[in-house]
Formats: sequence, C-alpha cells, structure tokens
Amino acid sequence: MRKQTRDEAIWRFLGYTFVLLVTLLMVVPIYWIIVASTLPEQAFLSAGTDIQLFPGSNFFANLEALQARESVDFIQSIWNSVFIAIVYTLLSLVLCSMGGFAFAKYEFRFKEPIFYAILATLTLPIQLLVIPLFLLISQMGLTNSYWAIILPWAANPLGIFLMRQNMKQIPDALLESARIDGATEFQLYYRIALPTMKSSLAALAIVLFLFQWNLFLFPLVVLNQGKYTIPVAINELVGAQRVYYDQIMVAAALSIIPLFLVFLFLQRHFVSGILAGSVKE
Amino acid sequence: MSTSSSNPVRDKLTAVREWAGQAVAPIWRAFIDAVRPARQAQIRATRSVGARLPFSVSAPYLFLAPFFVLFSSFLAFPILYTLYLSFHTYQGIGNATLFWINVGPIQFELTRIAQLEYVGLQNYQRLLGDALFQNALANTTFILLVQVPLMIVLGLALALALNASWMRFKGLFRTTIALPVAANLVAYATVFLLLLQDNGLVNTVFQMLGLPTVPWLSGGTELIPGPLKSVLGTGFWPRISLVGAVTWRWTGYNMIILLAGLQSVPQQLYEAAEIDGASRWEKFRYVTLPQLRPVLLFVVVTSTIGTFRLFSEPLIISEGGASLSATRTLVVYIYNIAFQQFQLGYASAMTVVLVGIVAVLSIVQLRIGGESDA
Repeated sequence: MRKQTRDEAIWRFLGYTFVLLVTLLMVVPIYWIIVASTLPEQAFLSAGTDIQLFPGSNFFANLEALQARESVDFIQSIWNSVFIAIVYTLLSLVLCSMGGFAFAKYEFRFKEPIFYAILATLTLPIQLLVIPLFLLISQMGLTNSYWAIILPWAANPLGIFLMRQNMKQIPDALLESARIDGATEFQLYYRIALPTMKSSLAALAIVLFLFQWNLFLFPLVVLNQGKYTIPVAINELVGAQRVYYDQIMVAAALSIIPLFLVFLFLQRHFVSGILAGSVKE
Repeated sequence: MSTSSSNPVRDKLTAVREWAGQAVAPIWRAFIDAVRPARQAQIRATRSVGARLPFSVSAPYLFLAPFFVLFSSFLAFPILYTLYLSFHTYQGIGNATLFWINVGPIQFELTRIAQLEYVGLQNYQRLLGDALFQNALANTTFILLVQVPLMIVLGLALALALNASWMRFKGLFRTTIALPVAANLVAYATVFLLLLQDNGLVNTVFQMLGLPTVPWLSGGTELIPGPLKSVLGTGFWPRISLVGAVTWRWTGYNMIILLAGLQSVPQQLYEAAEIDGASRWEKFRYVTLPQLRPVLLFVVVTSTIGTFRLFSEPLIISEGGASLSATRTLVVYIYNIAFQQFQLGYASAMTVVLVGIVAVLSIVQLRIGGESDA
C-alpha cells in the first residue's frame, strides 16, 4: 500500500513538472510579444545580456508609428479579418449543417459516392488551388472583395464531415414524431437538428474561424490595400525595405486578441464537440 | 466539328465546351432518374391514402444544393482545372517582381492565361530532373518524419496528464497550452524569426545557462557531432527551428482533440482492467490506445496534410538569413514557380504530384489505423 502511494506521488510530480514546463514554453513567446510591443525597438531587438523582461511604456508610441504607415492601415485590417472570419464562419456553418443533415438523415441516390468525393478533397492542401481559384475569382470580378476569401472555402469538406458524424446521433424517432406532428423537412433541420447540435456547431465554428483567420497565401494573392487581412498586413510590414519590429510586435499583440476571445468563449464546447466527428463512424 | 478557324485557342475552347456538354448531360439524366421513381412512389402514396406526404423526396437534394454548388465551383472545378493546366505550358514574359510588393503585374500576366499550349507530360518529365523540387520534397519529408511524431507524442502525453483525476487547474492549463493556436500565423513566424536570431532571446537564455549559442537560422554545421555532420548537412538548424515553431503552434490544438478522445473512453473499461490487476502501462496499452485509435488516426492524418501545407512559416523563417534550401517546402516552391516565375503549367503539375503524395499517404495511414482494429 505504501509503495503504491509513493508511486502515485512520483507520477503526480512528473505530471505537474511536465505540464508546467510545457505551459511555460507556450506562454513565453506570447508574453514576449506583449512585452516587446511595449518597448522601443532597440530595447528588445538584440537582447544581449541586459534583457528586458517587463513591459515598458512605449505601446502607444509604437501603435502610433504603426498607424502612421501609409501602406497598411492595421486597425482596418483587424476589422477586415474579424468581419471576413465571422461572415465566413456563419455561412459555412449553415452550408455544412444543412449538407450534413442531408447526409446523416436521408437516403438518396449516389449518397455514398458524393460523400466520399467530398471527403477526398480533405486530403488536398488547399493553398494549391490558388492558381485556378485566382483565375476563377478574377473572371467573376471578385478580386479585392471580401467575397473572394469568403466563398471559396465556405463549402468546407471538414465541416460537412463533422456535421454528418454528429447529426447521425439525432434519433430518427424524434424526426419521425415531428413529421407526424406536421413539421416540414426544413423545420426538422431548423427546430430539431440545429438546437441539439449546439456544441458541435460551436466546435465547428472554432475550427472554421481558425481556418479563415490563418489563411495567408490566397488573401495575399487576391486582396489589395485596404482589404488586407491581418496576416497579409503583417507580412506587408515585414516585406518592406527595413523591418520595423516594434510595429510588428504591436500588430502581433493586437492580432491575438480577437481569436483569443473566440477561443475563450467557445473552448468548453470545443472539447466536447470536436470529437463526435472524429471518434465513431 | 466546324471548320477550323484561324485561332487555335478558340478551337480548343470550342472542343472543351462540346466535351463538357456531353459530360454534363448524363449526369443530369442520372439525377432525374434518381429522383423520378421515389417521386412517383410518393405521389402514388399520397393519392391512395389521401394523407400528407410521408417525406419530401427533394428535401435531401435541397439541403445539399447550396453546399454542392459552392463545392463544385470552388473546389471540384479548380482541382480539375489544375489537372488541365498541368498538361499545358504558359510562360509569362518573365517579370519576376516579388509578389507582395506589387500585385499589378501578376494580374496582368494571368489575364493572358488563354495562351496555353498543350505539352503532354512534359511538365511531369521536368519534375524528375528538378533538383529544387527534390530538395523541397526532402525538406517536407524531414518535417513529416520529425515534427509529426514529436507533436503527437507530446500532445498525447499532455492530454494524458491533463485527463488525470489528480490534476488541478485543468481548464487553465488546457487554455494556456492551446493558446498558440490563437497567435496569428504570420505574426508568430515573425516572432520566431526574432527569437531565434543569433543574438535573440533563445540564444541569450542559452548563454545564461552556460550553453553554446546555436545558429538557429543561419544553418551552419556547428554543434552537430562529427559523424552526423554529413548526414544532417548545413540546413539542420533552420529545419529544427521550423519544426520547433510548428510544434509550438499546433501541439495544443492536437492535445485538445486527443483530450476529447480520452474523455470518451468508457470508465468501466479501466475499472475492469484494474480488477484484472493491470499495471499503469498495461491500462494504457490495452485500454487507452485501442480506444483512442480513431482519434489518433484523425490527428495523424490532419497533421500529415498540415505538413504538406506548410507555407508561411518556412517563407518567413528562411527570410532571416538561412538559405531557403534548408526550409523550402513543396508549397513554397510551387508558389515560387507559379507566382514569381509564372510557370503555371509546371506549378500545376507539381500540385498534382503533391496531391497524389498526400492522398496515398492518407490512404496508407487510414489502412494501417483501420486494419489493426480487428
């Protein structure tokens, strides 16, 4: 008995040490971004031995310098990113949940082949569609519009996959009884499927938001000044002749906030919701 | 076929249109055939019973239609178009302006896309002898073999620790460890570029701890033990930096997915194993791992695809002085060829090959993961 408790204590010690160490490693770069954003450039650029570990008072000066840049309006680009990601997420949620509902709860001809064709595109690195997509978008006259980034991946294969998996759990009897009560098929989707799928929808929302938030190559190709999303705007700061790291740090610090908020609000659902799709077939 | 006009491009387009018309017609017919019998059965049922429709036959199609319209125009069509492009050549005037500095010329170049010339398999043949492509493939393989296992083992260990009953502040740890996902892609790559410079924070900390400074980004062979020098080569440290950056960002994400998987393992299985006197390791080996297999599979497949997607990290990190040859991934190379050299045909051929590699890898992984289930 005694040996067991000592064993247990050792495991706990190792577990905590490990988790704490990793947590530290994860936090340091983010902490450093925040600290660096409040310091003048020369204070953090070459750390040397007199390394600055605490925030200074230069944040607003750096921000002002950032906003003074003519090529990039960074605050605008935060708004662009947030707007695009929200519209994209909502649109994609509707498309994927409707499609997922069809795949999970109806029988129709060619159901399996269609589903697996959609699934197969999951293995596709999406950046590689940049060439034909660019041609398509410019043919449609959508270059430099929000739609250029919202539309192409609104029909998200991962989304429809997760939705199908989760909606399979809705009992058929529930749908049947609603049908008998005179509900239309759309009401089944809207009144029954959607409310029961809340946490899956939240999980998918995080995934979609993240996906859109991180798009870099395609926005780089189709967007011009004024419509830049955050990654493109930051890249613009890097690509100039001289790299203004103080401004980049402010931009980086600001860019964390929106996603952090999304994450904080939906995190609980994320754990429970994401797995239903991945676990059981 | 009409008599050929003086414009070969127009001829080709006409041919494609005719072909497309023939291809679409059967699909449409099949759709009608699919709907008709069910529709008739439904009408018959309604007439005989005089009751409400049992269900609407068109409902699934209507639900799927919006998804499918966008899917086929923005995913399926571009895939086929890439395939089409890969058998053609299109050479721009060769104005290799850096893309992010000026978007104007590229747009101009691309509007002249109609000047395509059919070259058969030439693009694919060229791939075989392209040293840069092989270099990119080797770099990607390195990251795949080092980063993916590292990240998954790390993520699994974290998930196990954070799933233990005695662990406190679980929510706090989870959120913090998953936090890097919230960092903006380009922002974090830039930050790593700064942290890993020769006199950056990481090396400063190393010095304080009495460790040697590492050429994280400049990629010399320093500090690599003698016999390994020739194997790991000059690009070792930049590659390790890339691996580190990607691992930092995605481990927490994978941890959360694995954690979700762990939580769905039925407790009774552990209780039963305990009654049988199973050790900690045996419980992990015979209960946790098999139960977790589908989730692990999901994580492995998505991480593999993620590796083949790497673009902004290598692009930005290699700007920090390292030769691009150490960190050039396939997507970076394709981007160079397509948008800096305007060889869309060749870039498309590489894309097709890359998609083929990813598809084969995914299928292999799914097979391995699925079969051992039995």
